[in-house]
Amino acid sequence: MVSAPREGRPSVTLEDAKKRAHSLDMEIHARIGGFSLESPHKVVSAVRAYLIRRAGEISVENNPWKFLKFSGSSEGAWLITMGPTIDRGDTEEHFHFDTGARLSFGLTLQEEGSKSRLLSFRYQYNLPDGKSPRFLRFDLNRSAHADPLQEPLCHLHPGLEEARLPFFIHSPLEILDRIFFVIDKNL
Amino acid sequence: MPEFSIQSSVDIARRLEIRGSDSRSWVVLLLPSGSSDTALRNLLGDLSSLLQRPTRVFDLRSSSFEKLSEILHEPEDDIVVLVAKTNLDTERWSALDLMRSGLERKGPIILWLSPDCVPNLSEQAPNIRSFVGGSIFYVGPDGGLMSEADRQKRLAELVQFYGLSNKEVVNRAQAKTLPSEPHFVEWLVLLGRGDLV
Repeated sequence: MVSAPREGRPSVTLEDAKKRAHSLDMEIHARIGGFSLESPHKVVSAVRAYLIRRAGEISVENNPWKFLKFSGSSEGAWLITMGPTIDRGDTEEHFHFDTGARLSFGLTLQEEGSKSRLLSFRYQYNLPDGKSPRFLRFDLNRSAHADPLQEPLCHLHPGLEEARLPFFIHSPLEILDRIFFVIDKNL
Repeated sequence: MPEFSIQSSVDIARRLEIRGSDSRSWVVLLLPSGSSDTALRNLLGDLSSLLQRPTRVFDLRSSSFEKLSEILHEPEDDIVVLVAKTNLDTERWSALDLMRSGLERKGPIILWLSPDCVPNLSEQAPNIRSFVGGSIFYVGPDGGLMSEADRQKRLAELVQFYGLSNKEVVNRAQAKTLPSEPHFVEWLVLLGRGDLV
């Protein structure tokens, strides 16, 4: 017979893992729900300025002036994109790094007066050929999944489409900070 | 009136960035009819974030030009936008022209004007008009605004990748059975169905 876990000792069943994942998901959901951004237009401006500054620091040619795009409002919902929606290989619309890596992303926001709120994002960073993992993708889903252990609300795909690890950073510029100044710098 | 090209606020920011931080640039932006304050707010946001400098706005109809010539130099390297949403009378344009030396500064000056200001600017303020030179444009749509062709291309990518039609995606969103992954949120926004996200 398996005894009940003693206080202080972590539970080890799959059900316990799901409970912990659910608890973490709720925490992230609350954090993101309380997280406010500038107006969608200001977010577009800030992301564009960020990418232009980074493009000026690397030698590979990039054109965020042209390839950072936004959809305009649909019932207050905005889409900001860089690169293709589906990554099927390198395109001129990607943001390219000196390392040979490339980045594409899509970010949706809900306008709320003079501010906005995150709805979802996906940042796909493809490592150069021959590097492992093949890609990293940072996703924020619109709503919680029934199984937050397998699919946390905000997660990182570490090169595996079906593997999702919880991820805490949700500010658009902070995610770019990690990609530009941490991941790409360590290739 | 001569034809002027259309430039977005992002185009203007890029132009000013290429000219450099102390370019002493003068630019005239002509407002399309019915232009709202949102266009000015967007311009200020783009200039401020792209050029990494603060912006200030003064109304040419109500500002004292003597005072203006002082405050334009305190500081003299930020971005200043001088606004006239309706035409100024000829005396006021002449007075502004007489103050031209006092208005010269390191940072850029953008004249945000209604198109009917152009004849008076040219005739009553010829020196300021010469500062502006060829930098006179209509304000165009936001730079980076997705074109219809781009929207359709992105929708086609999603349709092909997921094997779902646009209609099926809308139906599933209405039935609340659409997955919550980011691509599906983008899909609805691209379809103009932000009400379903």
